[in-house]
Amino acid sequence: MSHPDIDFDAIRALASILDETGLSEIEVGEGDRRLRVARAPAAAAIAAPVIRSVVADDAAAVPSIEDAVIDAGYPGAVASPMVGTAYRSPEPGAPQFVKEGDTVNEGQTLFIIEAMKTMNPIRAPRGGRIARIMKENGAPVEFGEVLLIIE
Amino acid sequence: MFDKVLIANRGEIAVRVHRACRELGIRTVAIHSTADADAMHARVADESVCIGPPPAKDSYLNIPAIIAAGEITNADAIHPGYGFLSENAEFASIVEEHGFTFIGPTAEHIRMMGDKARAKETVQNLGLPVVPGSDGPLGPDMADAKAIAGEIGYPVLVKAVSGGGGRGMKRIDSADTLIESIVGARAESKAAFGDDTVYLEKLVERPRHIEVQILADNFGNVVHLGERDCSIQRRHQKLLEEAPSPALNKAQREDIGQRVVHAVQELGYRGVGTIEFLFADGEFYFIEMNTRIQVEHPVTEAITGIDLVREQIRVAAGAPLGYTQEEITFSGHAIECRVNAEDPETFRPSPGCIAGYHPPGGLGVRVDSAMYQGYVVPPFYDSLIAKVIVHGTNRNECLMRLRRALDEYVITGVETTIPFHLKLLSEPDVVNGTYDIQWLERERES
Repeated sequence: MSHPDIDFDAIRALASILDETGLSEIEVGEGDRRLRVARAPAAAAIAAPVIRSVVADDAAAVPSIEDAVIDAGYPGAVASPMVGTAYRSPEPGAPQFVKEGDTVNEGQTLFIIEAMKTMNPIRAPRGGRIARIMKENGAPVEFGEVLLIIE
Repeated sequence: MFDKVLIANRGEIAVRVHRACRELGIRTVAIHSTADADAMHARVADESVCIGPPPAKDSYLNIPAIIAAGEITNADAIHPGYGFLSENAEFASIVEEHGFTFIGPTAEHIRMMGDKARAKETVQNLGLPVVPGSDGPLGPDMADAKAIAGEIGYPVLVKAVSGGGGRGMKRIDSADTLIESIVGARAESKAAFGDDTVYLEKLVERPRHIEVQILADNFGNVVHLGERDCSIQRRHQKLLEEAPSPALNKAQREDIGQRVVHAVQELGYRGVGTIEFLFADGEFYFIEMNTRIQVEHPVTEAITGIDLVREQIRVAAGAPLGYTQEEITFSGHAIECRVNAEDPETFRPSPGCIAGYHPPGGLGVRVDSAMYQGYVVPPFYDSLIAKVIVHGTNRNECLMRLRRALDEYVITGVETTIPFHLKLLSEPDVVNGTYDIQWLERERES
């Protein structure tokens, strides 16, 4: 049947937009003509509340590396053995020793720390993947400050 | 004037230097070991740098770490405090070589006065009276040593040239024990100071320890700030100090003051310094010169009104003294009492957590300390935790005030020597000022 006042093309267009976008309702209007297409709400999947038991014992989840307080005790932390200025490459302009994501071997040079005009290489205490670099090129470091994390 | 000073020390003296810097508008950098992360000196400073693990040799004596801390903070000058590296000539050189001003005398003067035999010879040539002795280090020939000791007259003292501060000395009562004492002293000196050079000195009986404070700028202006009497000592460590000395009259004071000023002027010395003497039977005998600020400097500050650490910084920055000897006035009397975290009877160190802390106050009471409630006194460093300094119009007023102040002082959680000091202050010899450097040891033996 034809209904001259009903814009079927618009309805079909809106319906396919609903599908594509996953929206449940679209309403368009022009002047005092309004067109609304809605999807019947699916049976709400009520998410059963997950009861998280607070594990107050040894199995404490390691917080994400972004949130944790990184100090010398953090697993895999390589702390500075001296005071000075940390550099990430052997000289200005040269490629960096390592970057995040690299896999390093034990003994591999990670940083140079300069103090009293001498350059002191900081070597990996063991092999692993560089999870995070804590100090930028040219940053001052204290004794015990974390330079990077090796997983 | 300096923009930024790195304070190469810890505890109460680091706080003291910080205060003087602050009042001069200078920013401060504290250095600290991991054990001192929560120490007051690290907290009050504008910046702090962790320089090493707890042992002093890896932190407060770690020259590269201290210099590096100065580099990364862009300090202009380094103040060494007392103890640690304050009289280490090599440190003073390295500081200057790296472009920092060392707040103290030249490395050469530190070295000169650090060698106790050379110091004695130097000041003798500058007109100061010295203890009769071997005139220089002892050679390997024991017959020579015997002859010298015979000439001086027993009892004698064998002393390490690299010692000082009361360490590295042995008493010898007769020729019978001379050789074994010298051999023993050499061995101990080698172990403690890395140098077995020794010299002999007459043992002055029952002397007082009287020291004269001087201050010199870079332009040859020198003044003395009076004397301090530090005769109350245990194992050569000072426990109580006062200014002026009850044993000197005005004429003696002026005479020794002028002789000391003249000697320091001839030396071309700069900064603060203290010339230490033994005083017996009206005679002064030079024993050593300390080329740093001393623990007991506050008693001199109390009677002169002059901030010695501020003056140190000013003259190191190249300022002239700005006043003459005649303009220095002395007012009243002052006594300082050193409070240690030690058992008050055995003096055994008592580190631990300061559970309760309430220092005394009131007119004429000053407390220099880095303690606070909840602070944990670490076991790695010396046990001095506070100095109580009282100032009064006369000595009796000071004694009353010091007793009152110590009674008020609350420190719980660790043992302190406050009860020991309270007992001391009721001893008739202390009340009368009639004591000498062996007085305390004699009292404890009886």
